[in-house]
Amino acid sequence: MTEPIIRVRDLHKYFGPLHVIQGVDLDVTPGEVVVIIGPSGAGKSTFLRCLNFLEEPSAGTIEIDKLKIDAQEPLRRQRRHIRELRQKAGMVFQQFNLFPHMTALENIIEAPMTVKGLSKQRATEKAEELLDWVGLSDKRDEYPSRLSGGQQQRVAIARALCMEPKIMLFDEPTSALDPELIAEVVEVMERLASEGMTMVVVTHEIHFARDVSDRVILMADGGWAEIAPPNKLFTDPEEERTRQFLAHIL
Amino acid sequence: MLSNDSVARSDSRAINLTFILIAVTVVLSLLYAIQHYAGGPIQLAVVSRVQDLALSPDNATLAAGANDGNVYLWHTQQGWERSILSKHKRSIIGVAFTPDSGTLISASRDGEIRLWDVETGNVREMIQTGTKLNDLSLADDGSVLSVVGEDNKVHIFEVASGELIQSLGPTSNTALAVALDAQGTLVAAGNGASIEIWDARTGDPLQTLTNYCEDETLETRAACEEADEDWLGHEKEVTALAFSPDGTLLASGSADTTIIFWALETGDVEWPSIGHWSTVKTMTFHPDGRSMLSGGEDNKIRNWRVPGGKSTAIFEGHLSGVNGVAFGWGPEMILSGGADGTVRVWETANQKVTFIAWTKKGLQPVWGSLLRTWMLVSGIVGLVSLLGLRRAQPWGHLLALFLYVVGPIVVLGLPLLEVFIYPLSLGEQLSIGWPLLLLLGWYGMVVYALMRQSVAVSYEAPESSTLSEQLMASQRTRKLRNAIFIIAVWFLIMVVLYSVLRRFNLDVAFMRHFFSFIMGGAWMTLRISALSIGLAVVLALLGALGRLSKNPIANGVSGFYISLIRGTPLLVQIYIWYLGLPRVNVVLPAQVAGTLALGVNYGAYMTEIFRAGIQAIGKGQYEAAEALGMSRTQLYRRIVLPQAFRIVIPPIGNQFIAMMKDSSLVSVMSIWELSYRAQKIGRQNFRSLETFMIAAAFYWLLTVIFQFLQGQLEEYMARSERR
Repeated sequence: MTEPIIRVRDLHKYFGPLHVIQGVDLDVTPGEVVVIIGPSGAGKSTFLRCLNFLEEPSAGTIEIDKLKIDAQEPLRRQRRHIRELRQKAGMVFQQFNLFPHMTALENIIEAPMTVKGLSKQRATEKAEELLDWVGLSDKRDEYPSRLSGGQQQRVAIARALCMEPKIMLFDEPTSALDPELIAEVVEVMERLASEGMTMVVVTHEIHFARDVSDRVILMADGGWAEIAPPNKLFTDPEEERTRQFLAHIL
Repeated sequence: MLSNDSVARSDSRAINLTFILIAVTVVLSLLYAIQHYAGGPIQLAVVSRVQDLALSPDNATLAAGANDGNVYLWHTQQGWERSILSKHKRSIIGVAFTPDSGTLISASRDGEIRLWDVETGNVREMIQTGTKLNDLSLADDGSVLSVVGEDNKVHIFEVASGELIQSLGPTSNTALAVALDAQGTLVAAGNGASIEIWDARTGDPLQTLTNYCEDETLETRAACEEADEDWLGHEKEVTALAFSPDGTLLASGSADTTIIFWALETGDVEWPSIGHWSTVKTMTFHPDGRSMLSGGEDNKIRNWRVPGGKSTAIFEGHLSGVNGVAFGWGPEMILSGGADGTVRVWETANQKVTFIAWTKKGLQPVWGSLLRTWMLVSGIVGLVSLLGLRRAQPWGHLLALFLYVVGPIVVLGLPLLEVFIYPLSLGEQLSIGWPLLLLLGWYGMVVYALMRQSVAVSYEAPESSTLSEQLMASQRTRKLRNAIFIIAVWFLIMVVLYSVLRRFNLDVAFMRHFFSFIMGGAWMTLRISALSIGLAVVLALLGALGRLSKNPIANGVSGFYISLIRGTPLLVQIYIWYLGLPRVNVVLPAQVAGTLALGVNYGAYMTEIFRAGIQAIGKGQYEAAEALGMSRTQLYRRIVLPQAFRIVIPPIGNQFIAMMKDSSLVSVMSIWELSYRAQKIGRQNFRSLETFMIAAAFYWLLTVIFQFLQGQLEEYMARSERR
């Protein structure tokens, strides 16, 4: 068994009196694709956002690529570590969140230049490679307002990849897309998985979960209801809760 | 939106009719223009400008030479009965009576000097000089006369024989004025900005009066001003000259608006004076030598006390430049003639007009020439538009519309208002009102024909094009058509505004005189506003970040700043800056204090704008930037503020426009910006309305320019939003 690249221990998150995540553990090995599904309000997105501290966990430890952060200690003092951790974890959002005042290319080279101090030339070379990889070379100088949702999301993936992250987090990447645009994004994610990227994906895209993932987690009421390989979980689930959920969506 | 039907079924009869209508208009316009340029029968010029004025020594006859070549005579003792001497072919430039009042001398631009018998009105003698004359002077004893003309020579003639005695010069620069002393011994003539004096009998040059420095070792004006000495003399052409009766002084008036009294003995400036607000046109000494009258292009007559050169009275009433002045037959009376075609009699005690005589009375001559020019231009432009219409080009249609909508307003509207400044009776106005109404009615018909949908559509999109092309073309043309009408409305409102302003009876010459001085304040206004807005933006940015910050100190400081500054009036703040700082021994230059006051004030208001701008940036942007590992500073600098700036640019531009006008409040600190200059000059001369009108015009101009620039900037900033 290889050393896990993500190690989460006893993670808790409160929103006021609401106990949203109730002490979960997770190990993800390098190159593994983990899909989290579950009913809305189960805490899927919150869990994912806790992984790179967009939400501050209330308790527990998170370790990504040997960088460990304990939520019990004041996060204020660990800011620098958090920034380092974020650079290891690329994130793709439901609403794309491209910077509207920058062209596709500028969106991609912005962080490598300001955060990593890459030269504009190096960053541009890399960005052009990535744009080519997501199939948007011809859109390099377009502003986001002139791109379709699918194109925007592919630029957002390229933007995250340009930071050379160790893992990628996808927060419902296809939920805001028109049905006919979902395929192009899923295709890019599949290629990314086949190239060996470690991915944690929150999605409702059952096809992706079935075809691409190594493990599927069903999350319910702030905890793991069931963890299993996809063919097992979708065809022969052990838990009653899983069966209920699958009956709803299939 | 027009339907497909109306596109297809474009009415060819209406189109042809429109075409014919415009063609007729064009032909008539051209015919009218050709006829009038060839010297047609209708002459609308009715006012004759008075160029010089003379009262006979026996006070029986008043003579006015006019620009139509006539000399108008009024017999003052016979109820101001008028007679006209018309032999000169061009404008009269000077008239004078011999001491016995029997002979009138007139000189004209046609190069002739005529000596008239005042009794009979016959020409007694005629002298040909062969050059266009600029000025005439007759010695008080009537022995000799002199003229200057375009040849820049001074010609002196004996009055009795009409023989040429001397021909002096030529001067190196234009000679616009000439004067003989009382006995005809000295002759002075303008030579550009300096004055040459000769012995009139021998022709020997005696003196040159030119500008100089009080410290005579300094030769250039710059050196003189550096040494803090006075630079004396004229800076522009000398336009009027007169010897004092005792021959000790020479008065000279100039296009630089000043009048100077020269002491002939030393050749130095005896008394400089403020002169007029525009070019000095004429001057005459009282026979007792103790006072002098002058008339200027500023429509005013001034009375001067000769020892000292101080202005003692101003006579206002002429509607145009004053070209001739004379002392009347009583001690309490003066006479004047002006370019408004009137000769006026004034009471010196209260400076009121007691009598007005007209050379001719009627409409401005502007009618004839403007109408004629309009006809020619509209004929030619109409021809071009016809060409476009024939080839079914949309620009032909738009050109024709523009020509007949905006053109008449511009060309006929403005001079129509001029009518109001001349006191005409209703009948005189109507005499050309009807043809005008007919003309406008005709143009209205043309515009109506052009606007008919079937006509418009046929030019907007040729039938061969596809439906979408037709629709796009018609939309484009509709936009342009609207633009044409908007221009017309603007012009119309400006014409109305102009007519209201004319009713204010503003002193135009005064405004022109101080125009450039007040304009100098525009630069200061702009500079203070620009510096203040710069300061305000910095403060507003800090204030907004403070307000949004969770840090209690930053939050408290900015909250207090906003509360205090927004809670007190700007004027009060300006006074506190101005009066308070010196108490703590901080003495700032007024401009710095003013900029601080404005910047700090506007910064507080703009803090709220910035705060709204920053808050308008969605949470997703912060998250995306944080997820990429950006620090707080990087996030604000690269992601949030650039987007916030784009949002706040329109309101900031708005604030800048407001500030440009609020900057007038710093005038209380004696900063020489627009308002302060306007206020100063206005109070000094009791003409505040005039100066504030100039200031208002400049504020408006600055605002218009800035609005344009802001539009450009917004368009640039919005480039990422274009779809």
